[in-house]
Amino acid sequence: MPEYLRLRFDEKTRTLNAITFAVMTIFSSGISMYALGLLFQLVLHWSFTASVLLSAAIVLVYTFLGGLTSAIYNEVLQFFLIVLGFAPLAILAVLKAGGWSGMASRIPPVMTHTWSQVRHASENPMGVEAFGLIAGLGFVLSFGYWCTDFLVVQRAMAADSMSAARRTPLIAAFPKMIMPFIVIVPGIAAVALSRMSLGYAIPAKAGGGLDYDQALTTLMAQFYPSGMLGLGLTALMASFMSGMAGNVTAFNTVWTYDLYQGHIRKGAPDSHYLWVGRVTTVAGVTLSVATAYLATHFNNIMDFLQLVFGFVNAPLFATFLLGMFWKRTTGHGAFTGLLAGTAAAAATHGLTLAENKGGWLGTVVHTFPSTMAQNFWIAIFAWSACFLVTILASLASTPKASSELHNLVYGLTDIPHDSGMPWYKRPAPLALAVIAAVVLLNLLFA
Amino acid sequence: MSDLRRPIGIFFSLSGVIVAVTGIASSHRAPLESANVNLHCGIAMLVFGLVMLWLSD
Repeated sequence: MPEYLRLRFDEKTRTLNAITFAVMTIFSSGISMYALGLLFQLVLHWSFTASVLLSAAIVLVYTFLGGLTSAIYNEVLQFFLIVLGFAPLAILAVLKAGGWSGMASRIPPVMTHTWSQVRHASENPMGVEAFGLIAGLGFVLSFGYWCTDFLVVQRAMAADSMSAARRTPLIAAFPKMIMPFIVIVPGIAAVALSRMSLGYAIPAKAGGGLDYDQALTTLMAQFYPSGMLGLGLTALMASFMSGMAGNVTAFNTVWTYDLYQGHIRKGAPDSHYLWVGRVTTVAGVTLSVATAYLATHFNNIMDFLQLVFGFVNAPLFATFLLGMFWKRTTGHGAFTGLLAGTAAAAATHGLTLAENKGGWLGTVVHTFPSTMAQNFWIAIFAWSACFLVTILASLASTPKASSELHNLVYGLTDIPHDSGMPWYKRPAPLALAVIAAVVLLNLLFA
Repeated sequence: MSDLRRPIGIFFSLSGVIVAVTGIASSHRAPLESANVNLHCGIAMLVFGLVMLWLSD
């Protein structure tokens, strides 16, 4: 991703993105490390510190041994492991809670409906109103993640042909739509089961409140006998580990390639960069340990992850959108826009308060009902600031000549036609099928 | 590039057999579930693993 910004814009935009991206990967891998540490703590009864250090050691070995290809091969295997390890849990937990209708009758309707309770923030426990949900999560964060997250895009880049690369995100959308059934439904079932006097309860957090991060593991202990329990826990570990290894590898790439080779030492032999990469892996894992402790201060991992995405992916999505579709966008524009977007994210977080988070700039201009609402609005402000400032600064500076933008901007790029392909290999029919499935699911769970 | 379906098939066939045999051999049940989860899931994984092996070149 930073490399595209260098070709499309200039060195400073690439460097800025590389820096914010490096910070984000460290946070993301710290979050996975926290989750894995929590799991070891639960299974092995170790202290959190010992558990985090054990997971750090595992990732270090894992990342040292494997490259991108092995990481992708592992991810495919891990995907099936996650599906086969979690799906039986979802089925058993829902059956025990009385089937879908029995489960739905035991919990507030907001937990089984997507749209009927989002007109006002007070109607749902997320504390999010419709605009914040649609613009913040639906538009900025979702597109930002799906289009500009290095980890996701890198998978498409590894495809063997242009047409396969174009199909990658569309095909990936189908299993992604199924994932909520095996990762969210057990969580909903856990709430219903904890109200059924079966002896099951969601564990409480040290600071008060329920620890939803442990819903899945405690549920497994109730429904899986030893045997499947081992496989289920392996599936959980696999998913955290792939998240960590992917982020550490990405940090390694961005630091060594975009920052170290680009600025600190140019033109050294490959063996030198390989050595730097190794050292970076160790440094990245060490920094992740520190961020794993930060993650303990959040209600749940998702809150923390969305906050990080709001700072990094949200403004970047505006930069890519303008850079790819508006040839008038300039390097100065993109750089000031990115800077303004990240500053807007920081200002929103510093001037607003939600569940005692944020407000570090002294004055509090608004209090959000939940950190999730705060995160969505941080993303909205970051994206809007980047979008507007990029346009204004671009209009005030000289654009690159069209000849320099060949293959970098949509209108100046030859798009390969797939007319000879069967329909299921062409992007347009696949995209229509994805949209139809999304609409259907939203109507079903409205 | 080797065919990914083969390692996936081998992994799940083996795990399926191990989990299913555990289900047959042990009468241990999970606290909230009376069905033999190990046996049923083991068979499902074995079937999935064999399908993957059958699909691989």
